[in-house]
Amino acid sequence: MTIWEKLEQLDRRWIYLAVAIAVIIPFLVPAKFPISVSPEAQSFYDNVEALPDSSVVMLVFDYYPSTMAETEPMAIAGARHFFSKDCRIITLSNIPLGGPSMAEEVTRRIAAEYGKEYGIDYVNLGYKYGYVSVLKGMGLSIESIFPTDNSGTPLSELPMMDSVTNYEDVKFIFEVADNATADYWISIVNAGYGVPMGVGMTAVMAPKFYSFFGSNQIVGLLGGMKGAAEYEILINHEGSATRGMGAQSLVHLLIIALVLLGNIGFFASGKHRRRIGK
Amino acid sequence: MKTTAPVTIAFVAGVIMVISFFFNEETTFVGGLSQELLNWLIIIGGFTLLLGVVSITRVNWTAVTQKKEGWIYKVFTLLSILVMSLPSVLPSSWSPLLGREAGSIYDWLFTYMQAPMMATMFATLAFYIASAAYRAFRARSAEATLLLITAILVMLWRVPMGEAFLNLFPGDIPNLLNTYIMNGANLAVQRGIIIGAALGAASMSLRIILGIERTYMGKG
Repeated sequence: MTIWEKLEQLDRRWIYLAVAIAVIIPFLVPAKFPISVSPEAQSFYDNVEALPDSSVVMLVFDYYPSTMAETEPMAIAGARHFFSKDCRIITLSNIPLGGPSMAEEVTRRIAAEYGKEYGIDYVNLGYKYGYVSVLKGMGLSIESIFPTDNSGTPLSELPMMDSVTNYEDVKFIFEVADNATADYWISIVNAGYGVPMGVGMTAVMAPKFYSFFGSNQIVGLLGGMKGAAEYEILINHEGSATRGMGAQSLVHLLIIALVLLGNIGFFASGKHRRRIGK
Repeated sequence: MKTTAPVTIAFVAGVIMVISFFFNEETTFVGGLSQELLNWLIIIGGFTLLLGVVSITRVNWTAVTQKKEGWIYKVFTLLSILVMSLPSVLPSSWSPLLGREAGSIYDWLFTYMQAPMMATMFATLAFYIASAAYRAFRARSAEATLLLITAILVMLWRVPMGEAFLNLFPGDIPNLLNTYIMNGANLAVQRGIIIGAALGAASMSLRIILGIERTYMGKG
């Protein structure tokens, strides 16, 4: 067996070990590389910056806990950005598994940093089944779809909601998602009610949303952990996405190296087979 | 009757929803009717979630009582359902441990058990992707080679170390990738896919409204 054939049959556990090392090392020995900001992330930031202070905005937690590493830094950065501009935040979720809990955890933590109060500066509406009906229904009346918040408190008892009836009172929507609900926010809420919208996506979903950015249906796009890191850089508050860039960089480089190595082995062993007449 | 009633309901509801698109939802009868249908959808959806919980409980309970293979795992499933659901639906006014607020049993279990477990399961993908990329991503043809080169360039561009490497070369490669790959070729292909999927969804909706497509009733 030649070295190339051995390489082609490399035990996958060596690859797993290499990935584990590539993930761990950057956290033990941090190496900083400049993070450039994409036009999509810059546009997102500029549009939020342009909002009048104290605007009512929606921060939508449409991601499952499985993708928290990529998506949660975006939601956290978004909450920081909104609160720093004294925006009032409505959070909600269109997925049943964990969305409202993550919204609760993120907003309460960031609100405490900025001295914001529940019911006055932010409200968590929770989850309601059927996102198409929910998104369409909120165009008429948010209270008709969510009569109470996530804890069961009637919206009429929350001072912030006194001035909010439907999308007309919402100046910006930040949809953080790892699934198809983002498409419906764009096709129902942006197209139907004209609310400016920015989206934060997992890296695997982001390519699709370039088409919506190109047509100005969304005003900003944060793609994957890199997008979250770009946003953290823009709001001048480095978080877990920026810290995670080292690990992601090394794993990407490792995968590229493996692909190249695999192809070298593939071609070299092919030549070898031809040479010995197999 | 078993066929006629659902087909009639699907037809009437579908037509109302299509027509309502052209009417003001606040001031017209058709608009109001469509809103009412959407509210029904939310209510029915709530019951389907309940049905799901009942169904999974029944299936697992039967397996446990009959000691079917792997029944011990189903005991854990039942326990998980009970422990996650029961405290979360009870009012927090009874105890701060109930409900879904910070500090409740549900919140604790979600934050410290469910979320890390789900994130861990998803994170294992990185290992499989690395292994699969090594074994399967081969330049077997011109198209595969093009895909491979593009993937490598985009992977480099999307991480700071890779971008720093690309910047060693003249010509602002990261900007070219963003302009011509992501906002060029990718955008064009994605729009084609989106338009194709939308046409497919529209034709499927029409088939359901007209009663041609009946698989939702368990029939071909």
